[in-house]
Amino acid sequence: MFKRRPASLPRDAPPTPRPPGPPRLADRLLNWLVAPHLREDLLGDLHEVYRKQVEEVGPDQARRFYWWQTITYLRPLIIKRKAAQPNEYPPPFLLSPAMIRNYVKIAWRNLVHAKSFSLINGFGLALGLASALLIFVVVHHETSYDQYHKNGDRMYRVETVNVRNSEAHAGTYTEMTAVLRNEVPEIERVVPIYRASGQSLAVPQESKSFKEPIAFTENGLFALLDYEWSSGDARTALLRPNQVVLTESYAQKFFGTTDAVGKTVLLGDDINLSVAGVLKDHPANTNFPFDVLVSLPTLKRISPDYDTHGWGGFGDNYQVYTLLRQGIRPEQLTKRFHGIQVKYQKDPETIKNQHFVLNSLAQLHYGYNFSGRQANVNLLNILSLIGAFVLLIACINFMNLTTAKALRRAKEIGIRKAVGSNRLALIYQFMTEAGLLISIATLLALLLAWVMLPSAANLMGLPLKTSDLFSWQAGAFVVLLVVLTTLLAGTYPAFRLSGMPPIWALKSNKLPQAGGSITFRQGLVVVQFTVSMILISSTLFINRQLSLFKNANLGFNQNAIITVGLPNNDPGKLQTLRSQLVASPQIKDVSFSFNSPSAESNWMQGIQYRNGTDPIEIRTQMKMVDAHFLETYGIQLIAGDAFREGDTLPKFIANEVFLKRLGIDRPEKAIGQMVYFGDSQESAPIIGVVKTFHVNSLHQGIDPTLMQVVPKHFHQAGIKLATENLSAETLNATLSTIETVWKATFPNKVFSYEFLDETLAQAYQNETRTAQLIETATLVAILIACLGLFGLATFAAESRTKEIGVRKVLGASVASIVALLSKDFLKPVLVAMLLAAPIAWYGVSEWLKNFEYKINIDWWVFAVAGAFAIMVALLTVSFQSIRAALMNPVKSLRTE
Amino acid sequence: MKRTFLGEFEEVVLLVVAACTDDAYGVIIWEQLQEQTGRSITISAVHATLYRLEEKGYLSSQMGGATAERGGRRKRFFTVTALGSRALLEIQEMRQRLWQAIPQGKLQLIG
Repeated sequence: MFKRRPASLPRDAPPTPRPPGPPRLADRLLNWLVAPHLREDLLGDLHEVYRKQVEEVGPDQARRFYWWQTITYLRPLIIKRKAAQPNEYPPPFLLSPAMIRNYVKIAWRNLVHAKSFSLINGFGLALGLASALLIFVVVHHETSYDQYHKNGDRMYRVETVNVRNSEAHAGTYTEMTAVLRNEVPEIERVVPIYRASGQSLAVPQESKSFKEPIAFTENGLFALLDYEWSSGDARTALLRPNQVVLTESYAQKFFGTTDAVGKTVLLGDDINLSVAGVLKDHPANTNFPFDVLVSLPTLKRISPDYDTHGWGGFGDNYQVYTLLRQGIRPEQLTKRFHGIQVKYQKDPETIKNQHFVLNSLAQLHYGYNFSGRQANVNLLNILSLIGAFVLLIACINFMNLTTAKALRRAKEIGIRKAVGSNRLALIYQFMTEAGLLISIATLLALLLAWVMLPSAANLMGLPLKTSDLFSWQAGAFVVLLVVLTTLLAGTYPAFRLSGMPPIWALKSNKLPQAGGSITFRQGLVVVQFTVSMILISSTLFINRQLSLFKNANLGFNQNAIITVGLPNNDPGKLQTLRSQLVASPQIKDVSFSFNSPSAESNWMQGIQYRNGTDPIEIRTQMKMVDAHFLETYGIQLIAGDAFREGDTLPKFIANEVFLKRLGIDRPEKAIGQMVYFGDSQESAPIIGVVKTFHVNSLHQGIDPTLMQVVPKHFHQAGIKLATENLSAETLNATLSTIETVWKATFPNKVFSYEFLDETLAQAYQNETRTAQLIETATLVAILIACLGLFGLATFAAESRTKEIGVRKVLGASVASIVALLSKDFLKPVLVAMLLAAPIAWYGVSEWLKNFEYKINIDWWVFAVAGAFAIMVALLTVSFQSIRAALMNPVKSLRTE
Repeated sequence: MKRTFLGEFEEVVLLVVAACTDDAYGVIIWEQLQEQTGRSITISAVHATLYRLEEKGYLSSQMGGATAERGGRRKRFFTVTALGSRALLEIQEMRQRLWQAIPQGKLQLIG
């Protein structure tokens, strides 16, 4: 594209085609070899001889001779450069301070001269840069987790894989710790971590109580991960039971000072933990954000039931970390793990269905981990791609707008060239202009990114801080971006325009081959609008799905229900709590249960129905409830009885889905049927059937469900208020009543409450977040697409000025000219529509596969998105086309 | 007395330049040289000698006369300087002296 047009042929060129010239390579070699002051006549002589030889002996021999001659020039006298002599007219040094000042000054004048243009162009670029920068910060944060530990490359987590669904679980059996220590010499250290959420901690002297997550672990953790100790000793901490290590901010929180070693924290009701050390606060990008670390043996004291040496089951809360010896690869241990399974698990069925793998520290953040957040590799890839794409499009737009603009300056270029400016000076000039605008845009982008960072962090749910934006990596990224963008966006106008012969610039200002570049630009518009339209329709669909979630009938009433946790499920205490609460006039009912009717974490159990010859096994969700559950949550009983207060015999209430699995068609028939717990002999009858309600979030279908009264599994109380629309004051009064009663029942515990409808809405946080992300992306994409279109419209209006003038003189109306100019731009937008609809349809239908309850993909949504895009496109184009149409033809025709 | 020393090839080149009726430049000189001596000579040798002679002050040159077959490049025209003519004359004189010093009849033996 940057190639010069071939030099015009001399006028008296001979009619026959010339034989090819002397070998070019040889000429290049000579040019390089021969001293500059000898070059001209020497090469001239050689060429002259060559021409003669071509006529005498033919071109082949002439070429051979030429080569031979060339080689003989390899002698010092020819090669030796003449000692430098001061040239009479030294070539101007184009990067002298004076010239640079001039470039900057002219560039600044040009920018200021076209204020609105610079603003639009600069803003488009700034938007692209800011998006790219924010995405960089996000991706950088997500990939930086635990990358800084000294032993990090040897640290692995033991994960349990279920072969059936090939899912790796973060946790493993509690006995694994001891077994690995005995059986696997390749492992240097084994460190178990048990994480318990919401533990009661208290500092009696200061009469403070807290509810905090606790990590139960061993001293070895300090050898695996790098910790900075502010006081205490890494070698001795957490070796004995009842020891605790705090972070500085938690020491501050508990004791008001970071000097806490030796002080005591009360765990639960009666366990005194002595502070063995204080750690510096952990960074934000760690998968181990522990603030309270307690020695593992202490766990046995607060929950004696917890099986610390079990092969019975495993949960994600108990994770085992290993430090491999130098040079050991995790794959080498596969056999060892199989051996452990054979030796300890014994059951061949389990051995077949399960195996253990080691997952490296670097990978932890992409799966379940203790930080409570996990990075999605796909999302990160898509984000990076979007970032690169947005940046590229912004750059191309910038380039297009600049080129379109520079067309107007053809005369300036012509005159500059005519009075002796060389090409390099023009290139420098254009580069300075691009560079200046880009620098300003970068500053704007930094400002934008800085302002947007908190909302971006919120959007992604990341703990990002302003300091992340001003890290050296981000700085390097910005510098790289500026240089790359300047080169990308500045090069084309610089080289293209400066390479034009001055006569072109002075005579006519039509870019040769404009046709080709128009197609290229239109292609670009198609791409931009395709992306925009995909995003617009996705936004519409996601929001429809979200409103489906919000307005769905769950089969129970989630309004005006407050849930509070129960630290203790002693029946006597619960009875008192209940009677005191119900005594309040604002409270309608209270129910104790394992969880809410619809909850994120559930109790699943295999249940057998042994009516026929083969027992039917049903994976059933168990709901541990009390007699007031149905009443409190407004669940409808359709057959049989509800639980009664004081029931002691095991009984079940089933939902309709459960009946369907049993093969029972009418609810009445189910009453009195016996079901068994798995393959055991324990059984209980079904006494009632409820109308199906959603026991899971709407992502999933409804599980077969059995309700049962099991007081020892009551973990929360659901409190139904008397009226649904309470004023803020009544609500506060009610809450304080609840708190008082609760505190009286459970002294020294932390009271916390939640509104059920809000808790349920949290299940769709991910989708809400996606919706926000897509909405933002849509906005940016539309803006950038409009800028691209604007550039194209400017370009077209600019190059058709004269045509429009002639049309007007011949009687065309303003409306017809606007239509003429706009029509061209509707075509790419229509093409984009055709492209976008199937892609968006595919994407949305893939996304909707995540949900059991979902919206239909209606075609009219695409139509709305398309109409919106067309409207935006027309608005953008009309600005330029109306201006061009309104121009006085006298002016446009006089432009020559 | 300043000693003038010219190699045999240098002397011939200088003579050819002096003998040229037209303006003498690389190609002409090369062709003349081959014609007069009957030897095959590379152009590079001619160029090198011409430049060396110019450096020594026996020749002077100026540029001019670009043509199309030279790709628009100019020629370098050489002329013998006063120093060059004196050197040629000195050599000729010395040879003359030596010729005259040859005793009668000796040359037949050689010839």
